[in-house]
Amino acid sequence: MKHKATEEILNGEIVLSVDEIVIKFNLRGKELTAIRGASLDLHKGESLAIVGESGSGKSVFTKSFMGLLDSNGRIESGTIMYKGDNLAKFKTEDDWIKIRGKEIAMVFQDPMTSLNPLKTIGKQVQESIELHQNLKGEEAKKLAIDILSDVGISDSEKRFKQYPHEFSGGMRQRVVIAIAVACNPNILICDEPTTALDVTIQAQILQLLKNLQKKYDLTIIYITHDLGVVANVADRIAVMYAGDIIELGTADEVFFDPKHPYTWALLSSLPQLGIKGEPLYSIKGTPPNLFKEIVGDAFAPRNPKALKIDFVKRPPYFEVTPTHKARTWLLDPRSPKIEPPAMILKMREMDEKWGVSNE
Amino acid sequence: MKYYLIRLLRSVLTLLIVVTVVFLLMRMMPVEGYFGTNYDKLDELQKQAKLENLGLLDPWYIQLKDFYVSLLHGDLGQSITYRPKVAISTIIGSKFLVSLRFGLASLSLSLVLGLSMGILMARSKGKIWDKLGTGYVVGANAVPAVIYYLLIQVFVTKWLDLPLLYEKVNMLSWILPVICLSLVSTAYYAMWIRRYMVDELNKDYIRLARAKGLRNKTIMIKHVMRNAFVPMAQYLPASILYTISGSIYVESLFSIPGTGGLLVTAIQRQDNTLVQALVLVYSSIGIIGLLLGDILMATFDPRIKLHNEGGSR
Repeated sequence: MKHKATEEILNGEIVLSVDEIVIKFNLRGKELTAIRGASLDLHKGESLAIVGESGSGKSVFTKSFMGLLDSNGRIESGTIMYKGDNLAKFKTEDDWIKIRGKEIAMVFQDPMTSLNPLKTIGKQVQESIELHQNLKGEEAKKLAIDILSDVGISDSEKRFKQYPHEFSGGMRQRVVIAIAVACNPNILICDEPTTALDVTIQAQILQLLKNLQKKYDLTIIYITHDLGVVANVADRIAVMYAGDIIELGTADEVFFDPKHPYTWALLSSLPQLGIKGEPLYSIKGTPPNLFKEIVGDAFAPRNPKALKIDFVKRPPYFEVTPTHKARTWLLDPRSPKIEPPAMILKMREMDEKWGVSNE
Repeated sequence: MKYYLIRLLRSVLTLLIVVTVVFLLMRMMPVEGYFGTNYDKLDELQKQAKLENLGLLDPWYIQLKDFYVSLLHGDLGQSITYRPKVAISTIIGSKFLVSLRFGLASLSLSLVLGLSMGILMARSKGKIWDKLGTGYVVGANAVPAVIYYLLIQVFVTKWLDLPLLYEKVNMLSWILPVICLSLVSTAYYAMWIRRYMVDELNKDYIRLARAKGLRNKTIMIKHVMRNAFVPMAQYLPASILYTISGSIYVESLFSIPGTGGLLVTAIQRQDNTLVQALVLVYSSIGIIGLLLGDILMATFDPRIKLHNEGGSR
């Protein structure tokens, strides 16, 4: 098994604990609720993947850990506990400076634009080091060169003096990762780290992140809508829909025993699971309008098999196993038996037959 | 190096073409212009004698050759009608100096004011300072300059008890012309630096800089301001050089003996040598300014290479 054992994750110390967080934005005079009471515990050393379609709130959720919400956004209620501080109450730059980089660092989606075009890449890495590692000048430069080699940039002494435009996309993403790692953070948030890269480079970058995780003892949150990435790296998976985490479990649990109808739908739309000759499954409808208050299960209007209660009352979390929980009334003992779609069952079969999860 | 050589040669060629064309155009003007109001008083013989004297009866290519030969000797010739028989270099030399002095003073003032104003506007984007600044920029551009030049001359001189006209020895009389000259360009610099800074602030690398824990102030100074200045750097040398061409409005309003409007007057009075000299100077300035601007920008921005090094990737 490439993923860490379930117990090991659960027994690990909790580094970040988000509880019932609500995030709102003011947009054109109206109020939008981007995150609707999402909760999450992050365990030390794990790789957690947050998946969901565009606009489900993945990025906003994690940006709130670093105070990087756009200026029209605010945390309405809830807590984000980190090392005894409630980050949800942080307001000033002085507060956030203690967290950004030093404790939590971030890797962004588009490496082509994430670097300052007029500064050498070495200086940009060195800037992180001087900020967070109490080193100056030559010493900082030496460490920067070491970190650049660590992220797989060969001839790093020479490359140190080069500018971003002299690097390819994959190489720039390595530099962005180097900048994040050079902050020496506890938690690394990777916001779609491979989306802008071509497929061969994607695998290299994911492997690099895995290696760095070991070397620098990092806890990593991956934000992605690419389930291939998730299968490759994640210990645990949180599925987000309309600003809420609707299912959370270990990678195996979510892939092979999903409980929420949205997770079913998401997995069913994987092209790999399509049956030849039949149209590829797609989720009908659009995500709910977040300007309006959502009643019941947010996914109910798009779910052909939704129960009556789904339109009335928001489901609580039902625990499947100690590591697996989902917000769906289907898990209530009173609900009728609804089988997951054939494709999910097929996935299980594939796993049993060929051990897909073991690669 | 080779690139600069080619570029320089091309500039010289451009200059030659411009000067030659202007030279020929002047020769196509009716001859009446050379005599001014005396035209009717002179008989045909006197007119011919004068034209002969000025060398204007030679075929055009001989005239052109003579012009370039004396130019090579550093001789710009003598004025014909503007101040007859006075060396061109004497006429424009002192005027250039006056305009240059005013121009540089106002350029420095508008750079300092404009850049700080623009930076303040960018930092408080959408707030009160930004709105006030935008109001100023719109006002300075929308209201014809002559109107507030006049208002300044009429009212501010009274309120602050400053001299109405330029006097060479009285430094106080310099203040108002410099302010007048800076009003519009301040607005321009403010507008552009604000725009470029806001552009930069919205870029992804600023988000990364913030995420890695840099303070806003550091981001502004180390990342945004420098990057926003690059596109402005291109036009800076040209702006500095162009100050010697003076300003028609301000110079005539405060009766400053500068170059403002000199070219127009010279053309009207058909002072061939003066026109040629001015065109030569202004064109050289334009061409040198562009070249310097490109060089300056290339030193700031590593992505811009003016010459092909080959194999940089």
